[in-house]
This record gives sequence, C-alpha cells and structure tokens, in this order.
Amino acid sequence: MNKVYSLHDAVAKFVESGDCVSFGGFTTNRKPYAVVNEILRQGQKDFTVWAGPAGGDWDMLIGEGRVKAYINCYTANSGYTNVSRRFRAAIEKGQLVYEDYSQDVLMLQLHAASLGLPFLPVRLMQGSGLVKYWGISEEQRKALDKVDDLKCVEIDNPFCPGEKVVAVPTPKLDLAVIHVQKASPDGTCIIEGDEFHDVDIAVAARKVIVTCEELVSDEYIRRDPTLTRIFGECVSAVVWAPYGAWPSQCYNYYDNDSHALKEYDKASKYQDAEDAKAQLAKAAAKAQKAAEAKPDDDKLADAAARAQKAADDAASGAAVPETFADYVEKWVYSVKDHEELLDKIGGSRLMRLKNEPHLGYSTRH
Amino acid sequence: MADYTKYTKQEMQAYAIAKNIKENQIVIVGTGLPLIGASLAKRVVCPSCHPIVESGLMDCAPVEVPRSVGDDRFMAHCAVQWPNVRFIGFEANEWLHDEDRLIAFIGGAQIDPYGNVNSTCIYGKGDYVKPMTRFTGSGGANGIATYCNTIIMMQHQKRRFMEKIDYITSCGWMDGPGGREKVGLPGNRGPQMVVTDLGIMKFDEETKRMYLAYYYPFSTPEMVQENTGFEVDVSRAQLFEGPSPEIIRIIREEIDPGQAFIKVPKE
Repeated sequence: MNKVYSLHDAVAKFVESGDCVSFGGFTTNRKPYAVVNEILRQGQKDFTVWAGPAGGDWDMLIGEGRVKAYINCYTANSGYTNVSRRFRAAIEKGQLVYEDYSQDVLMLQLHAASLGLPFLPVRLMQGSGLVKYWGISEEQRKALDKVDDLKCVEIDNPFCPGEKVVAVPTPKLDLAVIHVQKASPDGTCIIEGDEFHDVDIAVAARKVIVTCEELVSDEYIRRDPTLTRIFGECVSAVVWAPYGAWPSQCYNYYDNDSHALKEYDKASKYQDAEDAKAQLAKAAAKAQKAAEAKPDDDKLADAAARAQKAADDAASGAAVPETFADYVEKWVYSVKDHEELLDKIGGSRLMRLKNEPHLGYSTRH
Repeated sequence: MADYTKYTKQEMQAYAIAKNIKENQIVIVGTGLPLIGASLAKRVVCPSCHPIVESGLMDCAPVEVPRSVGDDRFMAHCAVQWPNVRFIGFEANEWLHDEDRLIAFIGGAQIDPYGNVNSTCIYGKGDYVKPMTRFTGSGGANGIATYCNTIIMMQHQKRRFMEKIDYITSCGWMDGPGGREKVGLPGNRGPQMVVTDLGIMKFDEETKRMYLAYYYPFSTPEMVQENTGFEVDVSRAQLFEGPSPEIIRIIREEIDPGQAFIKVPKE
C-alpha cells in the first residue's frame, strides 16, 4: 500500500485538534520540525501532550497557544537554552496546564504503551515532589477527557508484600510524529543512530506520521532487514521532507543549525513586541534601582544607561529586538511549505550543516 | 605563551570532579562541567572509567564537547546506542545485582543539608502550579538519584544552600538516617558529595548532614559557611590541592577549545 503524502495532506488528514500527541527525537536531535511547522500553519490545537525530552518543538506550539495539557519531563534546547522560554513563561504566568513526571518514568510509560500494558509499576519518584505535587488536580483531570484521572498511586507490590511501588497510567496516544533517515512507501522505516522513544510511540499511537530524509523503494529498504526498525503497518503516512528535523540534528545527515538555535534562544525571550517593550522597561527600572543603591559603581551606572537606551529604543520603535512572534513569522508562517523553507535557509547554509563522515557532526557552521 | 598556572573556579570544579572518579567506574554524565570533568578523567586522571549518558549512549568518548546528552557528538563515538529505557533498566539492575560500579553527576538550583535537590521550580510568592521561576523538570535526575550514588554539582550561594528547599526533584538522604528506606528508596544509595566552586562537601555517616570536607587554594572554610544558608560543620575541612598547569592546558587546548562550558579568563 502506498502511504506517501505531501506534508500538507498528511497533516491535514491525520492531525486533529484535541489529539493526544507524542513527538519523537531528543531535545535537539531528530525532532520532527517539518510537521511542527505545518501544524502551526494549518491551525490544529488543543493537544494533550506526552512530551518526552522536548525542546523547541513543543516550545513553539506552547508559544502559539496550541497545547491544552502538557505532560513534561524536560523541556530545553540543551546547550542553547537552559529552560525553553515559552514553556517557562507560560508556567510562570499560570497559563499552561501541565504535569511533571521524571524522564525515566515518562519514557517507561511510552514503552509500556507500546507493550500494551494496562498500567505500569515503578520504583521511581518515591519521596520526591513528583509524587507529592500534582500539576493537574484530580478534579481538573476528570474534566480533561484525554488526561488520566490520576497522576499516580502508591501501591503495595503484590509479589513482595510490604514493598511500596508507584503505579502510573499508560498513555493513550492518538498521534505520533517521528522524523527518520529512510522510509519506503509502505511505511517501513530505518532509523540510524539512537532510536530514542520513536519506535515505542510509533507502535503505541493510533495514527503515525513519518517524515524522512530519503524516500526509498519497498524493495530497497528490505535489502538488509537488520537495519529496519518500524513495521510499515504501524504507519499512517510517509512524507519526504529532507532536512525535516532542521534546526535540530539528524544522525548521519546533518548537525544542529547553531545559528537558528541561538536566534530562537534570543527571540523566544519575548512573546511579541509588546512583551519586549514591557520586559525591557522592567529591566531598565531594575538596573536604575541597582545603580542608585551604589552611586559610586561606574559599571552599574553604565549598565543602567544601556538598559534605559534599550528600553527607550524599543518603546519608540527605533529598535525592537526580534521576538518569538517574529521568529515564527520568519521561519514558519511566511513560507508556504517545507520546500520554501529550505530555499529561505539557503543552499550553502544547509550544505555546511552536513555531517562530516569521519566525525559524525559538522565543524563548518 | 599561554599562562596555565592560573585557573578559574570552574576549572577547579572540573578537576575536582575528575579526581573523584575511581578506576573502572561507570560514570553517568550530563553536559556542562561534569562532562569536562569526565573527559579529563577519561584522558588523564582515570582512563579506565566508562562515561554513559541518560539518552542511552554507553561508553562515550566524544571528540568535540557535546551540547546535550542526545548530541551526535556522543552518538558517533560510543560503544552502544541504546534507547533511553534500556539505560533506565541498566541503572535499576545494577542496584538489583548489588553492583557498586555506578557514580552519577547531577545538578540543581537548590539543595538542603541532606542532599535533596530541586531542579523543578522556585516558588517565590507562588507555588508548584504557578511558581516564580520554572526550570526544565527532572530529566534523568530523579531516576539517577533513586538507584545510583551521586555527586552533586552546585554553585555555592546562600540562596541555593537552604535548610528547606521548595520542591524535591531528586531525593538525597531525605530527613536523615533511614529516611530513604522510609519512602521506599534504596537505602544503600545516595549522595556522596557536593562539589561546588568553593569546596567539596560530604555527608556525615551518622547524621547524613552535609559537612565541609575540602576547601580549595582560593577559598576558606569561613567563605563556605558564609555562603551556606544553614549551619555547616567545617571542623574536618582539609585543603584540596589545585590542578597542575598541564591539566589546565589539556582542559583549554584539547577538551573544550571552543570554550563551550569553561570560559578562559582574558590575560
């Protein structure tokens, strides 16, 4: 069966508002950004999310208000942004319904879902805030149809009476999205390098979208079945999307686009121009206060003057820093599809990202 | 000629990490300073160690410093690329088999006298649901602190070393002797030391409270007490010698030449 779709058609057909979703990849590695961008363009929203080790992928969807409930274990573009900034701002403003598990537990939950287990007992999280505090209360949970009624329950190990263990629910995924190196029209996938939790969510989810660097024939992908990792019958749609994980990495293909990740780090400090003006004014007032407290300190006086200038320039419109809204306009909304995005990034920039085979990463960008 | 006789607090911390890794240990590292310390151990101080990362990459020997634990810089230079769940299973089975080969580095924003660590959020005037400052969340730290002996990396500041922390992300000795067993955690695992930019703290065998074991050539026991938000016993403190110029040369020229994690002071 031929499951090849265009990016637009795959997302239009298989991504529905209100879906319970998980993405593959690991913070800044093999993240399915092509699909993230297309979801942003098409407008699907209200996702219940089992995020796994997340980064800019879910941070952009949170920043654009597409997430209804976020089940977190770690959200950062590690090495570029210590804590993803729209995720952080949404929580600090009380605008995100979220829950925390440890990464170990969340990954085991996704694995348990792939095994079809009814629930999962773990010897983890005991004694910590992860058991004690619930981000989504029992009452809220009952009102959210895609969120389990309970976060966790401490139970006695039936095979070892007296031993306390923690029971957690298994995710019920509507949709998994993964980016792989090679796929064939019938859905068979080759993942090169670490598979992360991608195989688990591809087995567990009702609908699976695969984007790939290279679309190869069904015969070619079977030449060496020790390399194939996902059975085609698990997959709903296959989309050819070279550089589909950009700006994250893709093993054997390309490295992080550090320029884009640094640009996102800076831009995502501010939701939009209004937020930038407000934050810069606040920073200027704080710097002013610090300088007044120590009138002899020239460095503090300089810093206050600089902060005031930045705030004034933003307020007058002379120099407003790039914001999250600008970033998504530039790299997502202003291009109509993935091919236009590649043109915008540019040929030489993409070539410099290509991994050097003797190293497994790029030293050219 | 570059001057390798002067070193920064961070370089001292990385060296202290390397010196605390033992022969043949399996070392769970994250990025940042622990990675520099583990790289230094692998190259010079203790080449028999095996660095592993929570994404499931085992016996890593990166050439260039990785930016994250899932980085291709780890992935392309390791022995085995396991999925994360295998790493978790390995960690748990090491404890089940009563093996004592693992040592792990974790970090955090707040720590209490018993080595319980917060890397989730700081409440301020709010609470867990709407905190003043939100961090990434546990990542692999909670599981690591459950099954492994840990070395905790902290910046030594009063607002970080607190009698009571807002939220426990990774469990230390809980409320003292027997505290881990009470909540169902392995009692024979827990934090071994806290390596900071001012010294090395260990935990008293009897009380499980933190005490100062070592200070550095540029710090004093008084500085440590001044920067700790609770009473800390400094009576047992000894001097920890600083790194040789050759060690500093290796950190700067070979391990982190791009200064991804350690900034070299301008001369």
